[in-house]
Amino acid sequence: MNKNNIKIVEDYANIKGRSLWVDARRRLFQNKAAVVSLILLFFVAFLSFFGPFFLKYSFSDTDWNSIYYPPSLINGHFLGTDGNGRDLLVRILYGGRLSLSIGVLATLVSVFIGVIYGTIAGYFGGKLDIFMMRVVEILYAMPYLIFVIILMVVFGRNIYFLFIAIGAVEWLTMARIVRGQTISLKEKEFIETSKALGQTNFMIIWKHIIPNLAGPIIVYITLMVPSVIILESFLSFLGLGVQEPLTSWGVLISEGSREMETAWWLLIFPGLFMTITLASLNFIGDGLRDAIDPKEY
Amino acid sequence: MRITMIKFITKRILIAIPTLLIIVAFSFSMMRVAPGGPFTNERALPPEIERNIKAAYNLDKPVYEQFYIYIKNLTKGDFGPSFKYKDFSVKELILNGLPVSVTLGLSSIIISLFIGSLLGIIAAINRNTIFDYSVMGVSLVGICVPSFVMAPLLSLFFSLYLGILPTSGWNNGNILNLILPITALSLPQIAVISRMMRASTIEVLNSNFIRTAKSKGLNQSYIIRKHVIRASILPIIEYLAPASAGLMTGSIIIEQIFGLPGIGRYFVVGALQRDYTLVSGVLILYASLLIFLILITDIIRAILDPRVKI
Amino acid sequence: MQLTQKNIKNNSLLLDINNLNVFFNTPEGTSHVVKDANFNIKKGTCLGVVGESGSGKTQTFFSITGLLANNGYAEGKAFFKNTNLITCDDETRRGFLGKSIGFIFQDPMTSLTPHLKIGDQLAEIAIYHKKINKNNAMKRAIEVMDIVKLPSNRDIINSYPHELSGGMKQRIMIAISLMCEPDLIIADEPTTALDVTTQSEILNIFNDLKKNLNIGLVLISHNIGVIAETSNEVLVMKDGQILESGDTIKVLTKPKNEYTKHLLSCIPPWIGN
Repeated sequence: MNKNNIKIVEDYANIKGRSLWVDARRRLFQNKAAVVSLILLFFVAFLSFFGPFFLKYSFSDTDWNSIYYPPSLINGHFLGTDGNGRDLLVRILYGGRLSLSIGVLATLVSVFIGVIYGTIAGYFGGKLDIFMMRVVEILYAMPYLIFVIILMVVFGRNIYFLFIAIGAVEWLTMARIVRGQTISLKEKEFIETSKALGQTNFMIIWKHIIPNLAGPIIVYITLMVPSVIILESFLSFLGLGVQEPLTSWGVLISEGSREMETAWWLLIFPGLFMTITLASLNFIGDGLRDAIDPKEY
Repeated sequence: MRITMIKFITKRILIAIPTLLIIVAFSFSMMRVAPGGPFTNERALPPEIERNIKAAYNLDKPVYEQFYIYIKNLTKGDFGPSFKYKDFSVKELILNGLPVSVTLGLSSIIISLFIGSLLGIIAAINRNTIFDYSVMGVSLVGICVPSFVMAPLLSLFFSLYLGILPTSGWNNGNILNLILPITALSLPQIAVISRMMRASTIEVLNSNFIRTAKSKGLNQSYIIRKHVIRASILPIIEYLAPASAGLMTGSIIIEQIFGLPGIGRYFVVGALQRDYTLVSGVLILYASLLIFLILITDIIRAILDPRVKI
Repeated sequence: MQLTQKNIKNNSLLLDINNLNVFFNTPEGTSHVVKDANFNIKKGTCLGVVGESGSGKTQTFFSITGLLANNGYAEGKAFFKNTNLITCDDETRRGFLGKSIGFIFQDPMTSLTPHLKIGDQLAEIAIYHKKINKNNAMKRAIEVMDIVKLPSNRDIINSYPHELSGGMKQRIMIAISLMCEPDLIIADEPTTALDVTTQSEILNIFNDLKKNLNIGLVLISHNIGVIAETSNEVLVMKDGQILESGDTIKVLTKPKNEYTKHLLSCIPPWIGN
């Protein structure tokens, strides 16, 4: 009989959840900027991951006869070539793969750490919460780029370490938000009911708190990915990020800015791709935030 | 009021000290832990020289004593010798770069705060007009176009195309050389601050106490001066510390692009060359500055908002 | 109303509303929230406006005082001192607001500016409209604090809003509206957010204002008890329309409209007339 009651409580919590999502989705699709951004983002991602299969050049093909070609439709180098004769379009797409992957993966790492950290601090409260938040405050005080650079310097420029370094810096914001949400959720009635019915703390966190965090988490993911992409680009720009032969938008832009006087396309096109991606993510994030929590006027 | 303020400040300083200690401990351990210690890039040295160098860097003493000496030196402003520039101490290098970075950083934060707040308030008051849309549009650009894209673009346009500003170089602090770097550095912050200020002002304008002020028959400019500004500027004060962190980060890039010999530039070079004392020295410097700023922010907030418990 | 001619002659008619309609532009279309309202208010009397939430009671009076949201607009006539408040320009309307017309809002907890002292928030309205200096304004502030039965010592004058209770804040709101000796005060659910004891104290203050200062009052409430205690005449509103109006005692004891009857039936029987 106990299990039955627990199921009723869960169903109640889930019903509330479902109608929220249907409403939110409708509001999101009404937001024109967000819809356009979703399409653009999908387009960029699709091109980055599948595009290179349709192009005849590979990203490391050097062709000493075609260096510094400006964009043209005739010779197949749609966006031009760089100083080594490598096709820019292909390199941008490969760079897109890397930048987008790092963006998503590093964000997932920081979400993972942040959610665990935040729910524990918020749910259990008390001295544990105070201590955990102190640590967050301390880490917040460090300028993140410098911190990441130092980590990279100390431990080397392994690409996997790049994920960890970036994730290690970005989880702070997520932890704070999750903790705040957990604290307000903790006070709600269905948690008390679950406790009265004998559910363990772990079950409560897993089944009730985390699903209800989904909204704010998704919003902040879309806003965090651009900041991770920018962070990776900063590192690559300074020469501390991904290494040859891998390339990312940060690397391309850094190369491009050095050559911009003679080959403007090397700066403009990667910059364009990056800007479109970042802007789309921002609009989608704004749209999601408005969809899930609309503020009148 | 005075006594409670002093107690407040003291309490905040006491909290700040352990934070700083942890950062110092971090940078200390990092140097010890890093693979490829101080001397792996060089050929194996004869044992006597190696012994001497170890002594010079205190490497022959037990760890806790090294830490103690490290902290003692820090309080004297001695960050230790640079690992790469054999004839310079970290302190000298930092002092070299300080004027550049301070000029850049201070100008940027003042400009960002001022212009950002102004644009944000005006946009909020004139909501849904062309001005509002332009401010939002420009700020979107500032957020989505990273500084290392924006800076070369600005350079391209103003230096190469129009030819009115120099592309790079410090030139002893010549104003013309400062314009592009400060602009490029401030743009992302102006973008964020204007959005924040706009949102905050809109929220205040929709609040009940502004409705009361309107019901008193006061005109708009009076209401904005006396009731709105102080209420809507609070989130911006909170943002001061993150904004400074952002500027520190940005200055690293900007100094690189425009060839300005500031602390950020030294930091990057140090990072690439594994100059651990230099790098950790800069970290401690920036972290201390940030902690100091957070303290200032707390004090300003307590002054502006009577609801804050001192 | 046949009484209007007589009242205009007697010069006791404060506010005359004719064919007032209030609309809102929403994404789902135009919303008609006040439909063809006709009523008036005389000096030294209190008009009660009763109805459920969403009946348009508040929007009626927001539209007269220029406090409507940006997407709202009004049509019709609202004559106050020979000026149609609906069609006059902002500056004229603002000249009346605060000086001749006072407004008291529902939620005292958030209706005062957090960073200004109470004394300043009282004084500014007199300084602005009457161009007197700060000293004289403060003297007037102490006078009005007396009227609303607040201790007129320096403590409250120098406090910030968050240091006062809800009841005290609501009295300050009333005090603010009295600073420039208004002719009309509109109170929107003034006691809803307060406890019963404070509520009756506030209502006593309103009754005193009506009697001693000859001020015209509008009291908006969804609580019939409050209306019964204070109002000479009453309007019953539903869905933006005035369903019934007239002398309070008559309407409450012999309601003609079905809805009024329904409202009255919801009151527990032990609350007397």
